[in-house]
Amino acid sequence: MFFILLFMIFLVMRILPGDPVLAMLGGKAPMSVIEAKRHELGYDKPLLNQFGDYLLDIIKGDLGRSALTKRPIADEIADKLPATIELTIFGFIVALVIGIFWGAEATKRHGGVLDITGRVYAIFIYSIPVFWLGMLFQWFFGVKLKWLPIAGRISPLLRPDKITGMYLFDSLFTWNMPALKDASLHIILPSLALGLIISSVFLRMVRGNMVLMLSQDFVKAARARGIKENSVIYRHALKNAFVPIMTVMGLQLAALMAGAVLTETTFSWPGIGSYLVEKIRYRDFPAIQGTIAVYAIIVVAISIIVDIINALVDPRVRY
Amino acid sequence: MQEWSLSYRLGKGLRRLFRDKSGVMAFVGFAILLTYLIMAIFAPYLAPYDPVRRSGKAFSAPSKEHWFGTTNLGYDVLSRIIYGAKIALKIAFLAVAVAAAIGIPLGLISGYVGGAFDRILSMFMDAIYSFPGLILAIAIAAVLGPGVINVALSIAVIYAPTYFRVIRNQVASLKDQLFVEAARAMGARNFSILGRYILPNVLPSVIVVLSMNLADAIMTEAGLSFLGLGISPPTPDWGYDLSNGQRFLLLNYWWMILFPGLAIITIVLGFSLFSEGLNEFLNPNVGETRR
Repeated sequence: MFFILLFMIFLVMRILPGDPVLAMLGGKAPMSVIEAKRHELGYDKPLLNQFGDYLLDIIKGDLGRSALTKRPIADEIADKLPATIELTIFGFIVALVIGIFWGAEATKRHGGVLDITGRVYAIFIYSIPVFWLGMLFQWFFGVKLKWLPIAGRISPLLRPDKITGMYLFDSLFTWNMPALKDASLHIILPSLALGLIISSVFLRMVRGNMVLMLSQDFVKAARARGIKENSVIYRHALKNAFVPIMTVMGLQLAALMAGAVLTETTFSWPGIGSYLVEKIRYRDFPAIQGTIAVYAIIVVAISIIVDIINALVDPRVRY
Repeated sequence: MQEWSLSYRLGKGLRRLFRDKSGVMAFVGFAILLTYLIMAIFAPYLAPYDPVRRSGKAFSAPSKEHWFGTTNLGYDVLSRIIYGAKIALKIAFLAVAVAAAIGIPLGLISGYVGGAFDRILSMFMDAIYSFPGLILAIAIAAVLGPGVINVALSIAVIYAPTYFRVIRNQVASLKDQLFVEAARAMGARNFSILGRYILPNVLPSVIVVLSMNLADAIMTEAGLSFLGLGISPPTPDWGYDLSNGQRFLLLNYWWMILFPGLAIITIVLGFSLFSEGLNEFLNPNVGETRR
């Protein structure tokens, strides 16, 4: 799957109309310069050769150099990646907490307050663009109330020493309290916006799977034994609903990455999402291609991890 | 005879429509969509001002002359929202039509033929499907450049696999059913088996996917134009208006972001309510299981 994805990215970037070399140099460059540039970037070789070279490079961890900054793209992305991971983790946690608890509580009483509000919430929040929610937060908490910072990851002078590149963890490891506080304040709004949007999907999914589980015989048996309803829901039903939920959540991580692009742009969060958008603005095609390839790697990695966890959690799954 | 049965079925359908919540949902969704459709078609008559001409002072707050205020260039926000419906719907319908036109035939053939062809095509489609849609659309839109057709195409690419998967899986299970075998035994050609026996059976689910995708397509379009990859300004477009409004957020001009956002939300809400209701209506046993 990984190779197919890479191949498609490659095709999209090379075959679609719009010559990357022309776009980089502008329409007025003399023919000789264009030809030289083409040769330099290897665009004059047959397509399959180009793809072979590209694959080899990626396996070596080389994504080429940015046409704009001339720095290796892999390095540039490595600088930005921790910010995206940090944002995604916290967004995911927000979505997880809302999704699991609300989803599980909603199944306690069919048609109850939590059930109905949960359904309305899920449909409604699904219709909200993440960048709009983000802006609303920025306006309300940042401009109106002046409680929280609305852009960036941390105030410039407080940056903690780099260990993982994720400021919250770095400042925790180095016990840098001012930095920890500042970074936490910065991450609240973006992760909340991102997490709330994704939570609707989680909520629906948890609810759907739980309803399915609660109609099974083992739940009936647990109830018949007089086990408390809370325990039936969280220890019996939720545990068994975990495998299908996990699989879909793995897929949702991909959606989370996409949402992160918009969230990062909204909050000037310096992750790979805003890196991608910035590179598009400058038509830096090697960098765009490299970033998309990194996304492909992440997607494939997540699906492998989900499979492994599934196999660990559910003894029936064997590969 | 034909007409009688049709109107009879329609009447029965309408009565069923209002019997439970899903019907009401579909109806509310439909009403919202109709409003937007009318807005889009009759935009020149409904909009109080030209959306790309200065119509008042810049940054004026909502008032009697400008219900939703004006932008940094003095454009009327309400007029831009009304005209924006046109662009949003145009791109969404175009994108979904292209996606369906690619996905449905490929799904039909792939599911029916099976074998290596099916496996390779499925692998490709699954690869696209698993990739974050918006990021793929960003990449394609970045290469194609701005414009209605280009944006629609880049959105279409990410939704084609949805149709392909739905159709392919259903066809694969339908093709061994008795009625298909009977048709084959009577000497029907492959083409007519696909078109007259299998296609009508998969259409209901296609319609649901279609209306669901329209919601997603509008959302994706808004995202693309928010990132500056959509229609080139000053054409009225909700996503672009939002990103433009964000630049002035610090100055407390809330109307520039509130109203375009509400427009996106209500139209997407309309599509999702409609598709949700339609889903339970058309495939009553496929939807959520009820206790």
